[in-house]
Amino acid sequence: MQTKIIIGTIAFMLTMIILGFIALNEPARLEAFSAAYEGRSIENGAEIFVNNCATCHGIDGTATQCFDATGAETGCVGLPLNNADLLCGNRPPRLDAMGWAGTKSDFIEGTIAAGRPWAGMPTWGQQFGGPLQSNELRDVALFVQNWESETLCGGEEVEGPVWPTRVSDLPAGNPENGANIYQVPLGCNACHGLVEDESTANGPGPWLGALAAEAADRKEGYTDADYIYESILLPNAHIAPECLIGGNPSDCPEPSTMLSNFGQRMTEQDMADIIAYILGVTEFESNVDVVYPEGSVAPPAEE
Amino acid sequence: MATFVDQVRELGLKQATIAKVDEAVERLTAGLNVNDIRDMLRGEEPRRPNPRLRPHADGFWLHIRPSFYHTEVTHIYPSFRLGWLSTFMFVWETITGIFLMVFYTPSPDVAYADIWNILGNVPLGQLMRNLHRFGAEVMVVVVALHMLRTFITGSYKQPRQFTWVTGMVLLVLTLILSFSGYLLPWDQLAYWAVTVAVSAAEATPGPPALGENINLLLRGAPVIGAGGLLRFYLLHVLLLPLLLAIFFFVHYYKVVIHGHSLPPGREAIGEDTAKRVPRDERTYFLPDIATSELMWSALTILFLVAGAIWFYNAPLERHANPLVTPLHVVAPWYLAWSQGWLKLADKVFIAFIFIPGLATAFFLMPYFEVGKSRRYADRRLGISVSMLFIALMWISNWMGSPEYLVQSSPDQEVAQELLPQEGHSALKEVPYDFLEPGTYTPFDAEDAPNPYLAAALEEFERAMQQRSCSLSDDGPYEPCQVMDQGDTVRYGNRFTNDAMPDPEAQLIIDDYQDNMRRLTLVFSAPDPQNPGNELYAYTRTGYRHEMSNYEEETRLLQ
Repeated sequence: MQTKIIIGTIAFMLTMIILGFIALNEPARLEAFSAAYEGRSIENGAEIFVNNCATCHGIDGTATQCFDATGAETGCVGLPLNNADLLCGNRPPRLDAMGWAGTKSDFIEGTIAAGRPWAGMPTWGQQFGGPLQSNELRDVALFVQNWESETLCGGEEVEGPVWPTRVSDLPAGNPENGANIYQVPLGCNACHGLVEDESTANGPGPWLGALAAEAADRKEGYTDADYIYESILLPNAHIAPECLIGGNPSDCPEPSTMLSNFGQRMTEQDMADIIAYILGVTEFESNVDVVYPEGSVAPPAEE
Repeated sequence: MATFVDQVRELGLKQATIAKVDEAVERLTAGLNVNDIRDMLRGEEPRRPNPRLRPHADGFWLHIRPSFYHTEVTHIYPSFRLGWLSTFMFVWETITGIFLMVFYTPSPDVAYADIWNILGNVPLGQLMRNLHRFGAEVMVVVVALHMLRTFITGSYKQPRQFTWVTGMVLLVLTLILSFSGYLLPWDQLAYWAVTVAVSAAEATPGPPALGENINLLLRGAPVIGAGGLLRFYLLHVLLLPLLLAIFFFVHYYKVVIHGHSLPPGREAIGEDTAKRVPRDERTYFLPDIATSELMWSALTILFLVAGAIWFYNAPLERHANPLVTPLHVVAPWYLAWSQGWLKLADKVFIAFIFIPGLATAFFLMPYFEVGKSRRYADRRLGISVSMLFIALMWISNWMGSPEYLVQSSPDQEVAQELLPQEGHSALKEVPYDFLEPGTYTPFDAEDAPNPYLAAALEEFERAMQQRSCSLSDDGPYEPCQVMDQGDTVRYGNRFTNDAMPDPEAQLIIDDYQDNMRRLTLVFSAPDPQNPGNELYAYTRTGYRHEMSNYEEETRLLQ
């Protein structure tokens, strides 16, 4: 019986020692676990993003390269997510631009859940009738925020204008090429419809077919080319008065839901071609300077 | 009765206190004072009248325990203490379960987050969960072994037939307890395993309304959701433990009333002398059996704790998603046999005729297996049948696994082996830093940049070898067995009837985000009959974040 008492006591002591070691390691293990499972959430978010969001936002979230179900390249109709405007720091500029007083992750998760029906983004959250559960929404939001990095946010500020201040300084435009890039890869037709066909302009952007005649009257002192040039580079600079969607006047939302990164996606030739396509001329007149804001991170795309 | 103050006056404070303590101990133990306990621990003979029997006669905790055992049943053989161990495991599960209950809410909105919280925020939470889940699996094994031992030693025979019946009830309750707890984490593993099993209820024969209503009763709704989770939770923490406790007490009462059956060779055939224990063959509960039980408790706790820390890890897959069914849904291992049988025959036959019939036969076995002798030599047929039955159950368990009869196309199977939707794989064992970006084929294991990736590529090659074949003789795979079935031609190899002919397979690792890599498996096999077309073309993409520590979870000795 003595043996049993000794064995039992030793076993009990061993158990206590093991538990002691485990308890000492617990804080580190808890940290590692939380990080590991957040990593797994991000992996799940990546899968959901690639399957649902990449067709509009691009597989790398920059809304520069989008493919449809057959694999053909198509215009990206979603806003760029992988950019400093939305992701950098606790209060990135986009939150203020959208008038959002809450946190960045709530903004992203809420936008995904509710969608933006007026702008073409589907409703994703199950609470609003969409297909994704709340944990999946959280995973996608974590994934999008995972694009925040030194390379994205530590970019050097570019001093001064990076686009020519005068639209007349752009190279000569090619309307045929402009017609092509209008659809692929820039995707203007997704919001504005085809210039030739008013019936394709079903929103959210106004049809551009009549713009050639009206552009010069939109802003005081601006030529038509000035107006179009500014509207593409700085969509919030002017919201069209009766923003026609499908021929019906409607309240266009401020700030503009037009993508603000065209300045980073187009070369100078692209810009000239698009303006040429819309206006039907190859050379442009200019009255005003259009200044791409100081502190903007990226210059126009390389040729 | 002298009051304490009088005693102090008479004996002095120290003596009076000692006397008071002695009196308190005697009251608490229902009959043993301090000297009696000291004598017990020293192994000395008891005084007369024997105070060590009084806790059994007068006390609550020991009143159901026998005051002495026949010495022959106190060794490891014949019982292996499995009945005791089963009871211990039930108490263990109750205690660890109560710890978990503090942090868990049975609602689909928060259940998964609660488990995450237990594992990631509660100190020792992962240990507690592992202890509970490991304990559950150990309990199922122990209960089954106890049943096997009882069968082999013939301890179910007269007068102990009803003890066997209550024991069978306890076995069924243990399995249902384990199954109901399986759903509670509300991850993909839990949700789909339980959905598959409960869907058998829909196959209830008879009017459709019967099956529908049974389904509703179990699930609380047409599909398993908030109602189902709550019902399973209440089953798991209230009803089933209550039933188990009730049947346990009946079972144990009968064990004590009839006495523990002696080793078969010890008694004359047909005799049951368990209750008539000669004085010189008695081992008293206090102190011998009690010490023994305490020692075994300490050893079992050590085993469970060490196992839960180093050898066992309760899995947590992704959040349950009713819209996404993972490939290879499988029942928990103790029910895999039923899944195997369901692959062989009709659902109604298996679930409502075969299994109930088998269970009834088991329950009533002592009433028709009425041979007088308990000796092994006289029961060769019975023992052989039981061994055969165990072998059958092992095979049935394997049949329940995804390898049997439910394989999908070979490209998807290879992808599932390497990049499963849930669970572990050879690729997940490669730590993040060793997933060098690049393009790899199954035959690149020797040129792999590091041994981890080499091991994963070797698994890739092995998986491809099992499911591919070469049309020419000098190809890298087994030669194809071409099966011309008229309008289709199938290709097989030594392992399978469904193999990819001359496939191209690649694993592409590239960076997707700064701290996340993307793993893409691409398979293509042209159709030999129709060179322009592809017989197999499949791509699967997985992602790997820097912090995900899959490689730690798959390690033995974590």
